[in-house]
Amino acid sequence: MALSDAEVGRYARQLLLPGMGEAAQVILREARVRVTGGGIALAPAMYYLAAAGVGTLWIDDPDEVKPGAGAGFALGPADLGRPRGAALAEFARRANGLVVADPFRPGSRPTALLICGASLDVSRAIADEARLLQLPHVVADVDGQGGAATSVPLGAPCYSCATRPGLGAAPTAEGGATVGALAALELILLLTGASLEPRARRIEVFRGTPLMRATTRQPGCACAGPAAAGLAP
Amino acid sequence: MNPLVPVARLDVRAHACPVTWVKARIALSRIGEGEVLEVLLRDGEPRENVPRSAEEDGHRVMRLEPAPEEGEGTWRAWLVRGASMEDRAWP
Amino acid sequence: MAGLLSGKSALVIGAGGLGGPVALTLAAAGVGRLVVLDEDEVETSNLNRQPLFGEADLGRRKAGAAAERIALLHPSVRVEGRDLRFGPESAEDLVRGCDVVVDASDNFATRFLANDVTVAARRPLVHGAVLRYTAQFLTVMPGKTGCLRCLFEAPPAEGTVPTCAQAGVLGALAGFAGALMGAEALRILSGERGAYAGRLVAFDARSGRSRLVPLRIRAGCPVCSGVAAASQVPG
Repeated sequence: MALSDAEVGRYARQLLLPGMGEAAQVILREARVRVTGGGIALAPAMYYLAAAGVGTLWIDDPDEVKPGAGAGFALGPADLGRPRGAALAEFARRANGLVVADPFRPGSRPTALLICGASLDVSRAIADEARLLQLPHVVADVDGQGGAATSVPLGAPCYSCATRPGLGAAPTAEGGATVGALAALELILLLTGASLEPRARRIEVFRGTPLMRATTRQPGCACAGPAAAGLAP
Repeated sequence: MNPLVPVARLDVRAHACPVTWVKARIALSRIGEGEVLEVLLRDGEPRENVPRSAEEDGHRVMRLEPAPEEGEGTWRAWLVRGASMEDRAWP
Repeated sequence: MAGLLSGKSALVIGAGGLGGPVALTLAAAGVGRLVVLDEDEVETSNLNRQPLFGEADLGRRKAGAAAERIALLHPSVRVEGRDLRFGPESAEDLVRGCDVVVDASDNFATRFLANDVTVAARRPLVHGAVLRYTAQFLTVMPGKTGCLRCLFEAPPAEGTVPTCAQAGVLGALAGFAGALMGAEALRILSGERGAYAGRLVAFDARSGRSRLVPLRIRAGCPVCSGVAAASQVPG
């Protein structure tokens, strides 16, 4: 069997889903996802990727654990002062010992990105980097209690084409948990091919109601050029 | 191809629900439509759950009977793989 | 808002795929007291979706492990883990002791009991459920908006509930749903009208689409018309 007994036992409940069988689970195991951006959605997003069996997680978060925003889903007072990347990697391994989780090192070659930008500018910059590297990515932006998850498969309209200004409310922990889990969900569906059209989409959550919109290319955007056509996945 | 002869065999007697059905489902996804998977099960919950789950997932239960020659409390089920399981194709 | 919430309490029924993110969301926002109820042990197949537990918790009682984990991450929250079944003998006291009830359970008997007891006690109820790729949400404001029995007259008959084959769950969808339920409970505790009050919201993860079903109090609903008899729970 391609999946070990330990894997079957751990992933049993999701292996029962249509579109999420053995082949999909192996795809997740072979994925190497860089989780980055410094935003409040990062810890919940990383947890749900680890729990689902994404085989390699690289946590790109150079700050130290500070009190307040960003703590509380995975990290607590005992972690204050520790480097966030190492602390979160340890949490991922605690959640799923089958996953390889480490702080991101330059030169590592991920196969996808989950971008939780601390601000829209940070999200945009990293999303552009991902596009130029021809890597599929999902971006999690938190705005108050909600926010948005934007899915960018290879060759799709880019993140910049998809965004518009939000309310600009200060991100909250509940927004981080909401949009972080949603972004992880979107990336899992993207990697396994289990999502339905439109695969390139942005799901906004405002006052509890998710609202999906297919992304469309803005005329003149660089993402329409030959570099964005991408290699076959 | 003789549809009455199992092309694969799976022994899940060492496992409990839901792993019993999950392993059977994986094994079914690896054989062709109309082909038969033989599953050895323990009596009790697995013997009730696996055939019922198989039918709900679109497969057919061709045989379900005690198999004492394989061990005490062992049952044998022959599951005929149904049409598309809506899983991503195995590359 | 944090100051207001520190004087509030919430009952979370279930500490698993939905209850875990609900509790973490409520604790992070500063709700003063959480009562988390679960009668099960941590099992391997839970670990694809239950953020309160890791491998080291396998075999532990969920109620205790959940309370311990929440207290570790949020020391200023008073959290009680209750290792018992939400049944007719325990329900009323549990519900009356809290300002909001969040039903993060996984079976119809519990959901209907929570519905009946919470409406009778005039507490707001946030209900949520995940099945395969669908998440759904409903908030019941007693006397004002429809309840579960306005929607379904009775729980599904024995044998029609999902078996192993239908009980697939994707962790991240449960996480998304639990966080939304927590955010809804926070809105209720802050005195806002809930996003799911008077309407069932259903989200399909594969297409990303949502559906809204308005729900008014049904004339003749035995629960909403003030007849407060608790439902019979089998077993």
